[in-house]
Amino acid sequence: MITDIITIIKDYWLLLLIGQYPNGPLGGLANTLILSALSIALAFPISILFALARLSKWRALRWPVTALVYITRGVPLLMLVLWSYFLVPLLTGADVPSFVTMLTTLVFYQGAFLSEVVRGGIVALGHGQMEAAKALGHSYLGAMRFIILPQALYNMIPSIISTFVSTIKDTTIGYVINVPDLTFAASQVNNQLLTQPFQVFLILAIVYYAICWSLTKVANAIEQRITRRRAGPSRTVVAPLAPSKILSEQP
Amino acid sequence: MTMSASTPQQAPAIRLSNVHKSYGDHPVLKNINASVARGEVVVICGPSGSGKSTLIRTINRLEEINSGSIVFDGQDIHATMPAKKLNLLRSSIGFVFQNFNLFPHLSVVENVSMSPIRVKGVAPDVAYDKALKLLDRVGLAEKANAYPGQLSGGQQQRVAIARALAMEPPVMLFDEPTSALDPEMVGEVLSVMKSLAAEGMTMLCVTHEMGFARDVADRIWFINAGEILETAPPEEFFKTPRHPRAQRFLADLRH
Repeated sequence: MITDIITIIKDYWLLLLIGQYPNGPLGGLANTLILSALSIALAFPISILFALARLSKWRALRWPVTALVYITRGVPLLMLVLWSYFLVPLLTGADVPSFVTMLTTLVFYQGAFLSEVVRGGIVALGHGQMEAAKALGHSYLGAMRFIILPQALYNMIPSIISTFVSTIKDTTIGYVINVPDLTFAASQVNNQLLTQPFQVFLILAIVYYAICWSLTKVANAIEQRITRRRAGPSRTVVAPLAPSKILSEQP
Repeated sequence: MTMSASTPQQAPAIRLSNVHKSYGDHPVLKNINASVARGEVVVICGPSGSGKSTLIRTINRLEEINSGSIVFDGQDIHATMPAKKLNLLRSSIGFVFQNFNLFPHLSVVENVSMSPIRVKGVAPDVAYDKALKLLDRVGLAEKANAYPGQLSGGQQQRVAIARALAMEPPVMLFDEPTSALDPEMVGEVLSVMKSLAAEGMTMLCVTHEMGFARDVADRIWFINAGEILETAPPEEFFKTPRHPRAQRFLADLRH
């Protein structure tokens, strides 16, 4: 079986890596990585904006975004993808490439999930930090940027990472609207071989696992670097000395 | 010679007029009329739930009021004003919290220097030098690069005082600054506050430290159920309190 897998990789590595490119659109692993990276890079700032809007004192900002987050979170991603795939061209008459459709949908979908994580991180800090910032004369946005978000995002790193990981995994849904990604390439290979689905999709699983695992590793390294720099995280203000030593993994 | 009571120099640092505040039907501040002179140290005392903290928090508008006015530096803090102006006003009123509220993700010296840099636009190296001087003044120069989580409560509160002083406020407000501290750390914070008072800082403190009130305060405001019942110099207040509620409060303290 391992020989089968090696043979498949030998025969189809280029298709799995870049799809039909340069004879067709860029696909395969390359496209999966691009789609994942763009989704994460766009969903993250959008999630912060969503979170700030949901915490805003202005209803005009709070209500529409709250509705958007609730709807997006309450509907399966596949359904959202199909909606944007069939409805956007119908409504606008524009011919939207499936990659763009998938990217936009994924950004909003994961942005909505991530915004709840960010909002949770901000709320969990309590009023004290914002009050201290206000008392010192910081503006609301200045306090958010320099005082609240650095702490809230740091505290939320584990949840943020799992959202990133599920973003990567969700790019596979692009298969149903013919986004030429790794899953698409693997299924092309499977259609040509016909007899070895297990081997083909095992390769697929291993590659996705490797991507998500490396992201988690990188994120953990970043988290530890911040922790070391802060030399002892203390979420409570009256943090006693002993626990912070234990948490910081300092010698 | 005129009999004018308020030349600009003598105008009070803070004047509260007819301040009312309620949560729903429950009034927490009732008809507060009082003023703090420049250089004066006022201690606000009274039983728990009397509105002491609420009162001091209205002065930099961490709490809104329902009616009345609080004038600081010729400006009504509670007037409708652009956020920028309110931020500017707040930056000139130092506030020290019961729970310190230091920024745990920043080192001690960053805690003290960040607001001058971000709010006032002071050059980072200038703000940094100033922060080190202030830390020296509160006796924590050697902790400049530590993080708040590594400090004791008393040390954190002294950093919080230095952080407020970094904005060079003409007025400092203290909201029960020693209530969250272990008893052996109360002294170090009070002595910093004493030295501030000695330098002529205008101060308004909510505190249960009656020793501090007796030694340092120019005037005591006794507040109960949202009303200021008595204002008097400390010797008078502690020896011969006039209001029966104040007498009862002091009698309870002695037990």
